[in-house]
Formats: sequence, structure tokens, C-alpha cells
Amino acid sequence: MAILQQKDADTIRSLFAKELRDPVKLAFFTQGESPLDAPSHECRFCQDERELLTELTALNSHLTLEVTDFVASADVAQARGIDQIPALELTGHAKGRVRYIGIPAGYEFSSLIEDIVDLSKGTTRLAQATREALAKLTRPVHIQVFVTPT
Amino acid sequence: MMAMESPLVTADVVEVSEFPHLAQKYQVMGVPKTVFNETVSVEGGVPESAFIAKLLASE
Repeated sequence: MAILQQKDADTIRSLFAKELRDPVKLAFFTQGESPLDAPSHECRFCQDERELLTELTALNSHLTLEVTDFVASADVAQARGIDQIPALELTGHAKGRVRYIGIPAGYEFSSLIEDIVDLSKGTTRLAQATREALAKLTRPVHIQVFVTPT
Repeated sequence: MMAMESPLVTADVVEVSEFPHLAQKYQVMGVPKTVFNETVSVEGGVPESAFIAKLLASE
């Protein structure tokens, strides 16, 4: 059964058709079932998120989904600094890193759609003063925004 | 959006109900809560100017 409702899929498809300009990759880290290891199952929200992202990326040809197994490809996950799943990293016109840890449901789904549009267009709605302050950073900053799916 | 503007910024949106240990570690009592570089935090939605001030304070 589809996770996205048809009317939502139609709305997002129209928005993407109008707004997306350049490619955006959605790099998703999950844990799949492995025939080689002891029986395992995809983590609680991983399967839901994988299905959601599969449906979402099918809505526009600028979007690609890359799925990495957190366990089987632990070296890849480690190299990308991913230490828990489900995790999603968006790459497009981002100078830094944009990630979602845990499923982007509820209000965060809207944030995800907005981020995809911004990453595709390479634009943000930040104030000039904010952009200037960010340009002057000399050391890494890790921002963690804790949310719940309401 | 801040991570889009600077190569030095990593921005994580963390769905905290899936990771209760993080809620405990960062003492998340309400959402949204933002933590900068493990040291500076702000609760609730704040204006962009206040947000960037906190970010700069953590650098």
C-alpha cells in the first residue's frame, strides 16, 4: 500500500515540476534483510521511510534515491558519520550537510519537501546578515534540531 | 538552510521519539530543541537572528 496519499502525491508532483531545477540525491541509510547474516529485519521506521522515499523520488526525474545498508556497508556509513538509522542525507546545492535522523513524518515531511526544493534551486530564504555571519565561520558547527512527528 | 550556506555546518533534524537515549542525553523536554556543537542550546522556535547568535556562540 502506498504511503503517500494520491492527492498529496499529485500536489508534490506539481510543486516539484514547477520548482526543481537541478538534481538532488537522497542518500538513505537503513538495515535490510540479509541472506548472509542471522535473520534480521529492517528497523521499526526504516521500512516506512524507505517506501516513503521511493514514492517521493519517483515523483520527479531530478530526484534519485541511494539506499545503503547500515550493517552490510558499515564502512560507508562510518565514513559519512552515520551512527544511527534510519538516516537520510540530502545532497544538491548544499555547501554543508543536511540530514534527517529518524523518519521525517508529520510537520518534518513539509520541511523535507522545502529542503529538497532549496537544494535543487541552490537558494535559501536566509537574511543577508545571516548569510554573512555563516560565511565568516572558521570552525565546524553541528546543529541538531530535536523534533517529534506532530 | 544554514547548512546550505556554509561548508562548515552540519544540520541534523532528529526525530527524537525514535531515539529516547538522545532525548535523555540532550535533556529534550520540549520540541523543537536545538543544540549547537553539544554546548549551546535553545528551546522552541526562535527568530533567525537569535538562532544565528546561538550558533555563533557555540563556535
